[in-house]
Amino acid sequence: MSEELKNTAIEELKTITSLPELAQLKARYLGKKGLITLQVKSLGTLSAEDRPPAGKRINELKDAIEAACSAREDELTRKDLAKRLASESIDITLPGRTAGIGREHPINTVLSEIIDIFVRMGFSVEEGPEVELDRYNFEALNIPKDHPARDMQDTFYVSDDVVLRTHTSPVQVRVMEQKKPPLRFIAPGKVYRCDADVSHTPMFHQVEGLMVDEGITFSNLKGVLETFVHQMFGPQVPVRFRPSFFPFTEPSAEVDIGCILCGGAGCRVCKGSGFLEVLGAGMVNPKVLGFCGIDTERYTGFAFGMGVERITMLKYRVDDIRLFFENDLRFLRQF
Amino acid sequence: MRVPFNWLKEFVEISDAPEALAHRLTMSGFEVEAIERIGDDAVFEVNVTPNRPDCLSVVGIAREVAALYGRSVNLPDLTIVSEAKALDFNIDVLDAELCNRYAGRIVRNVKIGPSPAWMRERLEKCGVRAINNVVDVTNYVLLEFGHPLHAFDLNLLKGGRIRVGTPRSVLQSDNPMRFYTLDGEERRIDPDMLLIWDAEVPVAVAGVMGGLNTEVKDLTTDVFIESAYFEPTSIRRTSRTLGLKTESSYRFERGTDIKIMKKALDRAALLIKDLAQGAMYGKLDIYPKRWHPYEVKVRYSRVNHVLGLALTHGRILESLQGLGLDITEGSREFFIVKTPPYRRDITMEEDVIEEVARMVGFDNISPELPRTAFAADDAVSTAGKIMPLKRKIRAAFLTSGYTETINYSFIGKADLDLLRLAADDERNVCVRVQNPLREEDAFMRTFMLPSLIRNLATNVAQGNRELRLFEQARIFLGRPGEALPEEREHLAALVYREKIKSLYRDETPDFYHVKGLLEALFADMRLSGVCWKRSEEPFLHPGQSADIFIGESKIGFAGVLSPLVVNTLDIKAQKPSVIVVELDLTSLMPHIGAGADYRAIARFPFVERDTALVVDASLDAAAILGHVRAFRSDVIEDTAIFDVYQGASLGEGKKSVAFSVRYRAIDRTLTDDEVDAVHAELVQHVSEKTGGHVRA
Ligand SMILES: [Zn+2]
Repeated sequence: MSEELKNTAIEELKTITSLPELAQLKARYLGKKGLITLQVKSLGTLSAEDRPPAGKRINELKDAIEAACSAREDELTRKDLAKRLASESIDITLPGRTAGIGREHPINTVLSEIIDIFVRMGFSVEEGPEVELDRYNFEALNIPKDHPARDMQDTFYVSDDVVLRTHTSPVQVRVMEQKKPPLRFIAPGKVYRCDADVSHTPMFHQVEGLMVDEGITFSNLKGVLETFVHQMFGPQVPVRFRPSFFPFTEPSAEVDIGCILCGGAGCRVCKGSGFLEVLGAGMVNPKVLGFCGIDTERYTGFAFGMGVERITMLKYRVDDIRLFFENDLRFLRQF
Repeated sequence: MRVPFNWLKEFVEISDAPEALAHRLTMSGFEVEAIERIGDDAVFEVNVTPNRPDCLSVVGIAREVAALYGRSVNLPDLTIVSEAKALDFNIDVLDAELCNRYAGRIVRNVKIGPSPAWMRERLEKCGVRAINNVVDVTNYVLLEFGHPLHAFDLNLLKGGRIRVGTPRSVLQSDNPMRFYTLDGEERRIDPDMLLIWDAEVPVAVAGVMGGLNTEVKDLTTDVFIESAYFEPTSIRRTSRTLGLKTESSYRFERGTDIKIMKKALDRAALLIKDLAQGAMYGKLDIYPKRWHPYEVKVRYSRVNHVLGLALTHGRILESLQGLGLDITEGSREFFIVKTPPYRRDITMEEDVIEEVARMVGFDNISPELPRTAFAADDAVSTAGKIMPLKRKIRAAFLTSGYTETINYSFIGKADLDLLRLAADDERNVCVRVQNPLREEDAFMRTFMLPSLIRNLATNVAQGNRELRLFEQARIFLGRPGEALPEEREHLAALVYREKIKSLYRDETPDFYHVKGLLEALFADMRLSGVCWKRSEEPFLHPGQSADIFIGESKIGFAGVLSPLVVNTLDIKAQKPSVIVVELDLTSLMPHIGAGADYRAIARFPFVERDTALVVDASLDAAAILGHVRAFRSDVIEDTAIFDVYQGASLGEGKKSVAFSVRYRAIDRTLTDDEVDAVHAELVQHVSEKTGGHVRA
């Protein structure tokens, strides 16, 4: 009898498809007036001898049905959840919702890289005005009026005595007037020249550097700039110094690096030479130190400068400098 | 400067191939930028720096080559076999300061015609157009010796006389005068410009260009060849004032060789005699201001001190051999260098040290990092504060989806007019560039918004429909009466989005997007006392914009660009919303808070209470929140407005503002009763202050 009841219950459980139906079934068997409960109550009518084995049998029956119900309940719950999750499915191939992450301007990326290299070498960072006195931009740097060296830079004039600075060198003079050696700083910033074509824009960025102390030599200049080039372009890149001319340094040098585009084999960008000019440098002309009231017998120093646009163009192979200032998102978003 | 290899070989023995020679020259300071093959010749494009005008010639480069290879220079044969006695011809130099020396020769009975092929080819290789044999010779000698010459038609020189002087000294006149140069242009001559005159009128602008009135032409039979030394500064000033740059002025303004000019003159006369079958006459040479060599004392120790080398005295002296310097050993410590006339660039010890370095070779100076003590004030620099701030702002804008721009500092009047600034707005006081590339770029920007509006136009024209841009840069405020403008660091940003169909509904940016970013940034900077007031900027939407203050000082603005501005742009068809921001970083810098100020965080549970107040619709949210925050209690942890509602049920001119308050004590768990009491007090306080009542 009880075995039969158990089998019936299990068969019925199989046909059940929802949790409410399951609750009804449980009530029918295990509820206050359920079939199992009635059997438990009927135990009282049995003799004292028969009661224990019957009780045991009913308890087993009850446990078996309860276990079956509970298993079925788990199963139905899982199915319900699966169904709900399926109904909540979204198209994960649609684009995400975001304002995106903006892009740093490539010039500023490279500028920061340059600054950080020199800061790691112990250089501090100095700034100065972009609209500058002729005195600081030229005369203090040994470039008098009516000197052919002024042809090296096409100048924007604001008045006879005021220019848009053509290089960040006036910052060197301003700092040297204020502070005493030892000095070791770089001056990054915007500079202006009256020129516009694929390789010139009327405004661009420079980083210049200065180090003045006792016993600073040309050999030190080479050491510092080689270190910079190797940090910036990689330790395998060759560096070459060759004589040049700047009114504010003596001796002066141009610094070339092995062409990073062709690896030195010669290409259109390096005009077949295998080298690219990236820095100008030299020992600070004693006339410049003297102008700033620095004892030229005791102190020597070196200075250097580089164009950030040029380095950026080489790094990213940009072939028209004007793109940097058009600010077309299609360009800026590439970096 | 173009230098044919074969020509160079006439003056110095060269065993290297052109490429190898080019490399040696490049590494000694004469950068060969290109080598052009023409027939069996190779033409070097040499970049001659302004300090070395002596190398603007084949002979000059030959001298350098000779020094590099330890060889000697062989100049062309200048033996004069026959010359007639000088004719009755006089030279007067009136301004000896401007013309230190003036020489000339007369060649008569010349047959003007084309030059021989070899000469025309050489001229062409150097980029000079052949004209006729006499003119070509002067150009040829210019290229060869680097000394500019000029040939006059002798029969057009009146009165058998040459005078060298300015209009001021010749005519005692302070008035400008007119003169026709060879190119047919009428030139305005200032009284200080040096001219060459015959007995009556000017015949050349000295060192710059000859006159039309004495030009050598096909019918010329007699010529006067001029070879002179003109003072560089005066030539440069004249050339610049006239806007006239010639091969001749280029060399004179850099400095010519006062000795070789005589050789150049002889060379030219001999060539004209050969090529145009003329008869040479004796040299005239007026030399009123003698040249004296510079004497430079050079210490051996200083050479090594500057270069970081340990060269012996012998090695130092040896390196300078071949440069034409006259060297005398002074003592154990120093030597004396006397410079030749073509090396006027050497005037001090460092100039000689540079020559040593050049000849030893920069490659032979080994790199070495400096050994130097750290200076105590290294950390204090002018950029020390602004640079980290700009980097922090950049990071915030980048992560918020803004792309960084860099604009020229230039704007034009139209950019300012577009923004409808009031006449007395300080942003109208611009620094003006005298020689802008274009009138639209004549001013230095006084704020950054005009540049970003230019970026907006560019991008919309290219079909970029969604923009978030920002830039940090200097702006320039003119200061009447002061030489230099005030330069301030600014930040500006622009958000633009066309009303286009979009996948997600809530993407149209508005004022609050930008305000939220700025508030987060201000909180990050620990900027205190920031206050947002309705903006008075004429280019912003009056209802959807704010001026941002700290105390009394305005630090910027943020808001929707006024339709009055948008409608003048090409983007009006898109009905866009454009939101702009500009901050003056220089003025907010002093208000940036110190670093973190740690306080213990409470470990006890919190309780929140929400209240909606009905107030006048005109009352700003900031005012209500201000009153909430003004209520002092040490158990209030945080307050926020979470809903603003306006509807008919509230009554005309009313709105409901809901705020929540989070209560928590540092030392105990708060009871409901305690919180209810404090909150009731707070609500009463705010109701009184705002004239509102709790919404039922
Ligand atoms: Zn290459």
